[in-house]
Amino acid sequence: MTDFLQLVVAGLSQGAVYALVAIGFVAIFTVGGVINLAQGEFVALGGLVAIWAVGSGLPMLAAAAVAVVIVVCVAVGVERLVVRPVRSMTTLTSIILTLGVSTALKAAMLLIWGPDSKGLAPITGGQYTVAGVTVRGQELWILAIVTVVSVAVYWFYDRTVTGKALRACAEQPVAARLVGISPGAASMLSFTLAGLLGALAGVLASPLYFTSWDSGLVLGLKGFVAATLGGLVSVPGAIFGGLLLGVLENLLAGYGDSGLRDAVAFVVLIVVLIVRPGGVFGRHAEARV
Amino acid sequence: MKLRTRWSGLATALALSVLVAGCSESKSTNNAGGGASTGPVKMGAVLDITGAGASLGVTERKSIELAVKQLNDKGGVGGRQLQLITEDNQSTEDGAAKAINKLVSQDQVDIVLGASRTGPSLAMRPIAESSKMPMISLAASKAIIDGSQWVFKTAQNDAVVIAQMIDLAKQRGWKTIGLARDASGFGEGVAEGMTDQGKSGGISVIRIEKFAPDATDFTAQMVNLRSANADANVIWGIPPAAALAQRAYRQLGIASPVLQSHGIGNQAFLDTAGASADGLLAPLGRINVADQLPADNPQKKVLTDFIDNYRKAYGGEQPSAFAGYGYDAVNLAAEAIGKAGTNKQAVRDYLEGVKNHVGVSGVFTMSPQDHSGLTKDAVVMTTVANGKFTLMSKPG
Repeated sequence: MTDFLQLVVAGLSQGAVYALVAIGFVAIFTVGGVINLAQGEFVALGGLVAIWAVGSGLPMLAAAAVAVVIVVCVAVGVERLVVRPVRSMTTLTSIILTLGVSTALKAAMLLIWGPDSKGLAPITGGQYTVAGVTVRGQELWILAIVTVVSVAVYWFYDRTVTGKALRACAEQPVAARLVGISPGAASMLSFTLAGLLGALAGVLASPLYFTSWDSGLVLGLKGFVAATLGGLVSVPGAIFGGLLLGVLENLLAGYGDSGLRDAVAFVVLIVVLIVRPGGVFGRHAEARV
Repeated sequence: MKLRTRWSGLATALALSVLVAGCSESKSTNNAGGGASTGPVKMGAVLDITGAGASLGVTERKSIELAVKQLNDKGGVGGRQLQLITEDNQSTEDGAAKAINKLVSQDQVDIVLGASRTGPSLAMRPIAESSKMPMISLAASKAIIDGSQWVFKTAQNDAVVIAQMIDLAKQRGWKTIGLARDASGFGEGVAEGMTDQGKSGGISVIRIEKFAPDATDFTAQMVNLRSANADANVIWGIPPAAALAQRAYRQLGIASPVLQSHGIGNQAFLDTAGASADGLLAPLGRINVADQLPADNPQKKVLTDFIDNYRKAYGGEQPSAFAGYGYDAVNLAAEAIGKAGTNKQAVRDYLEGVKNHVGVSGVFTMSPQDHSGLTKDAVVMTTVANGKFTLMSKPG
C-alpha cells in the first residue's frame, strides 16, 4: 500500500506538469483550431530562462517573472509572425507550421544554453514522510500552484467577459465576429495564456525533472495526449487527463515493466482516438464536425 | 486527382534516384585498403554532441580537438597534419550509422573515432566491419568489440567495472544485489555480467529495473528496489538520468548502500546529483581522482599533463573520464598511423598489437582476443564525499 501511494504521489506531481502543458494546447486550439506543437518548447524555454536568470544572480521569484515575460513574448511573436499571416488556417497547416517553430526554438536554445541538462533549486528543499510515503517539498508546490492556476483558468473562461469571448470564438466564430469580438485579439490572447502556462510549467518542473534544450518534445507529446483526453477543447478534461496520464505511467512502471513507461501515453492516445475521438470528456464533439 | 498522380510519380522517381545514387556511392568506396599517402591524415569522429549523451559527447569533442591540435603542433603524424571531421549523431543509432557512412564514402577518412555511447557504437560496428575501416569506440559495453575485426575501444569494459563491484560485494559480504539500469545499449548485459561474475561468491541479482536515458522520474524504479530489499543496489546509467535516479534513491530513504557505474565520471553528475551523491560507491577511471594518486603511479604524469592542458585550453574546466576516452582514442590512432601509415589493414594490425600504451583511461595492451586492452586495474573504487570523488582505501 505504501508503495502504491508513493507511486501515485509521484505520478500526480508529474501529471500536474502534463496538465499545465495540456491546458496550453486547449487554450490555443479552442480559439482558432490551431494545434501548437511548440507548446513543449515553451516549457523548456521557461525552465532554461529561469535557470539562466538565477545563474546571473536574480532571486527565484524575479527569475520566474523574467521567464514568464520572455516566454509570453515568444508565444505572442509566434502568433503574430507565423500563425496570423496565414489566410486560411487549417489544423493540418498549423501542425506543420508549429512543428517548424518548435525545431527553430530548439535550435536556438541549443545555441544559447548548450546541450547539458540543468536544474533549478527547489522553491523549498526538504521532504516530508507521512506513513512511509515521501513527498518532496517541490511536489507540494507543484500541486498547490497547479490547483490555483487550474481554478483561475476555469474561472477566467467561465466567469469573465474576456474568457466568455474566447469561448464564443471557439464555439461560434461567425456569431462572435458579428457581436464585435475580434478573432485576431482572441488568438493573441490564447497564445499569451499558453505562453504563461508553459513558462510556469517549466519553472515548476525544472527542480525535479531538469531542463535541457530538447526536454520540451516529450513534455509536449504527453501534454498533447492529456489534452486529447478532453477532446482538445475541455480545460477540466485536460487537467484530469494530465493527472491520469502521470499516475498511469508511474503505476505501469512500478507494477509492470519500468522500460514501458513512455509507451503509456501513446497507447492511451491510440485507444482514445479509436474509441472516443471526441475525447473522453468532450461535450462539443458532435457540434464541431 | 490527376495532379496528385503526377506528383506521386515524381516522388517515386526521386526516391528511386536517391536509392540508386546511394547504392552506387557505397560501391565506389573502398577501392583499396590504403588512403591517400600525401596531404593530411583524415580522422573522422562520430559523437553524441546533442541529445541524451550530450554530457559525454561535448567534452569528448573538446578533448579530441585538443589532442589533434597537440599532435599537429608537434608536426603531425608521420610528417602529415591531422584533419579532424566531426559528426553529431544526436545520440541516436540511426544518426550514428548515417554519420559513419558519410565519413567512409564521402570524406574517405583514414580512421573513425566514436561513438560516445554503446547504442550508437553498436550501430556503427557493422559498417566499420563491412567497409574495413578501423574504428575506435569511446563507449563501455563489451559487446562493441566482442569478436570484432576492425573495432577497438578506449572506455573501460563494463565487465571490468562489474568485476570491481563484485570484489567489493565479496569483501563486504553482500549476497543480493538490486539493479536499476539504463534501458539503452549501455545497460544491456550488465545483469548477465553480474550474475556470471557473482556466481562464485554466491552473489545474485534479485531485481532488475530499467529506465530510459532521457527519463525524468525514477520513483517507480526506486520503490521497487526498496521493496526488493537487497544488500546493495547498483544504478547503471549516465547523467542526467543517473543523477536523478541517485536523488530518488536518497529521497525514498533506501538504507542499503548504492553503487554507480563508471558512467558518472564527470562534473555534470556531481552538480546535478548534489548532496544525494555523498556516500555512493563507484569504480571509476583514475582521471576522477588524479590529484589523489601516489607520485609513482605509471599514469600520474599522463593524467596530470592532460588535466593541465585541458584546463588551460578550456577556461579552467575540469576534464571528465569521457574526455579521457576521446583523448586516448586520438593518441592510439595517431600512434598506429604514425607507425603503420594509412593502409587500413596495417593500422588495424598495429592497433591489435598495442602494448603498454599509457593513456588517460588506463594502460592499454591489446590482443586479437581483447580489443579494449584494459583490465580491472584501469578502474579504482571511489566514493563521493563533500561533492567530490574520493579514492577509497586501497590506492594504486
